[in-house]
Amino acid sequence: MERRDWLRAVGAAVPALAALTPDDLLAVGRAAHARAGSSGEGALTVQQQATVAAIAERIIPATDTPGAREAGVAAFVDVIVGEWYGAGDRERFQRGLAELDDHCLAFLGKTFVEAAPGEQDAVLTGLEAEARALRAANPSAPRHFFDQIKGLTLHGYYTSEVGMRQELRFHVIPGRYDGCIDPAAIPAPTGGGGL
Amino acid sequence: MQRRDFDAIVVGSGISGGWAAKELTERGLRTLVLEAGGPIDPARDYVMLTQPWELHFRGWRDRARQERERPVQRRCYACDEWSEKFFVRDDQNPYTTPDGKPFLWIRSRQVGGRSIVWGRQVYRWSDLDFEANARDGFGTDWPIRYADIAPWYDHVERFIGVSGQEENLPQLPDGRFLPPMALTCAEQFVRDGMARQFGRERVLTIGRCAILTTEHRGRAACHYCGTCERGCTTHSYFSSLAATLPAAQATGRLTLRPWSVVHSVVYDPRRGRASGVRVIDGETRETLEFRGRIVFLCASALESARILLNSRSERWPHGLANSSGELGRNLMDHTMGGGASGTIPGFEDREVFGRRPNGVYVPRFRNVTSSHPDFLRGYAYQGGAGRAGWGRGGGMAGFGAELKRALRTPGPWSMNFYGFGECLPRPENVVELDPERVDAWGIPALRIHCRWSDNERAMLRDMSVAAAEMLEAAGARDISPYVQDNPPGLTIHEMGTARMGRDAHTSVLNAWNQCWDVPNVFVTDGACMASCANQNPSITYMALTARAAAHAVESMRRREL
Repeated sequence: MERRDWLRAVGAAVPALAALTPDDLLAVGRAAHARAGSSGEGALTVQQQATVAAIAERIIPATDTPGAREAGVAAFVDVIVGEWYGAGDRERFQRGLAELDDHCLAFLGKTFVEAAPGEQDAVLTGLEAEARALRAANPSAPRHFFDQIKGLTLHGYYTSEVGMRQELRFHVIPGRYDGCIDPAAIPAPTGGGGL
Repeated sequence: MQRRDFDAIVVGSGISGGWAAKELTERGLRTLVLEAGGPIDPARDYVMLTQPWELHFRGWRDRARQERERPVQRRCYACDEWSEKFFVRDDQNPYTTPDGKPFLWIRSRQVGGRSIVWGRQVYRWSDLDFEANARDGFGTDWPIRYADIAPWYDHVERFIGVSGQEENLPQLPDGRFLPPMALTCAEQFVRDGMARQFGRERVLTIGRCAILTTEHRGRAACHYCGTCERGCTTHSYFSSLAATLPAAQATGRLTLRPWSVVHSVVYDPRRGRASGVRVIDGETRETLEFRGRIVFLCASALESARILLNSRSERWPHGLANSSGELGRNLMDHTMGGGASGTIPGFEDREVFGRRPNGVYVPRFRNVTSSHPDFLRGYAYQGGAGRAGWGRGGGMAGFGAELKRALRTPGPWSMNFYGFGECLPRPENVVELDPERVDAWGIPALRIHCRWSDNERAMLRDMSVAAAEMLEAAGARDISPYVQDNPPGLTIHEMGTARMGRDAHTSVLNAWNQCWDVPNVFVTDGACMASCANQNPSITYMALTARAAAHAVESMRRREL
């Protein structure tokens, strides 16, 4: 009998849910899904994480909205490199990080993290040119370290709470659909902090 | 003590089983619905409001675990970090294929079945489809025509709620529609361009979908969050969990038993009828029997065939109700993946608000009024046009504040047409019981032999060419035609294996989805299909199920069953 009780509950819940406003729905959602993604084993050392955070911040810097550092991109990169990447991708990423600091120490006399933003940008511009040359020479080559970190930064930032709520002004529950709207007519997201 | 005797037993609680449950209970039958998987509690299991930042892999899935547990299921777009729990574990549910004949069997076992994660597109068939086998000789003639099923399409649409636009096309009959969802500016532009070039031959219309655009029978209108496959807590898209099972429950005559893996249908040789079904409890592994005056198999095309094949007895050594030898044969799936995409110029001052869980549709135009030299039958396109999002950033040069600013606003409009084609029914596409493999419950696994034919391959190429023509006619730029090589099964429109027909020698089921050989057994899921047309099939399963249920109850009242 107990197995069937859920169905009665579902049937009863339908009319009630139909009357909920988008804000009510969000409250339900927040209560039901309060858990957040926990951090994993951790593939990167504290020092490597600091380097990743510094690179990510130059790719998506703080402007009138927070950048990659505040969005916690380094923790996401740590999860992907540690738990999602295959061995080849992981090794290439780790090597790329090490070579970046070797390069900075050789040419700037300091690590990437210690470099000034202008110096960091110059180093990254050089790396991007390397990546572009590799793609041109061999389109099927494994991705260059710069393409790895750029892709991870974009995904990590634009799927973060900061990136979605503040930068993209994402509406969790739009409530209506318009396929051809003047952007000025798009309402500000409602609910706590733009969610 | 648990009741073991019922008027009707329904195997499966998905889109077909839910309809059988609703129609049989509403007509007065005490009905047992057996579901192989566990219960679903929307409050706990639906994750439509879970945001990417709440997930460990931010939507990129646990790759290593999926490779271990769901190497087949993960090929489905919806088997993602949010929704993978709505798909079976392949390690518990094996099947086999011969070398060189890959088949992807995408499955759900849970109360609600695949109706929790279905694509929600619903298109009526027409007589172009019901007459197809008779016209070109592939397969056997359907025992019904559009006039037989049309009132049942009405019946289903009124209950489930279908939004769509009337187009008055003979090959794609209009239904009883709720207001259509809007086209985007670029889709309207392409619709207009196609109308100039092709008139009424090739028409772009908004997708017809089982998603509510107004409140309907106590279910709320869509709120356009855009990710239906995570489960909808407002029940705005139709699923058996949202609508048919609650309707059946409301009669007081429904008994729903999850964790009930059906092993076989039990045959009574003295009466020449089925007496019930044998079940293995999914949790305790205990073997149980339930008795019913009629049995509706609604377990999905391949599962229903598997149950019948496994229902072997002295009288039926090759599977129950298989005197024709057609049980397991004529497996079909829609061939998909020919198409083209292109950039739509202009409309830079317009955006999209909300995430429409629906696309556009171009109904079949090949072999409708004229004959194509390269292939029989036809295909339709699904697709849509929108503006690119932040995902385009990986392909853009540069980094820093300028890149961030550029990605704050959407990119260019692009339009995509993706074809879904009819597959010919052919006896050599067949499923049988694997002589060695069994699943986690000891039931023989299926061995699936299925391969596309030249007709499907020719159709794929034409999908690509014709899509590019349409984009060109509309004024698109940078048009990229493509042809994907998708194995059968991945469209998740598998059907056939117990076809309806006009006689007991060439088909398994009669015009009422009733086994010729065992008249109190009905099969109303995709197994019953004698051909597959090119339309998404679920609404036809629903209509046939409701029609068969009405017939079954009338037959019982007349004491024929």
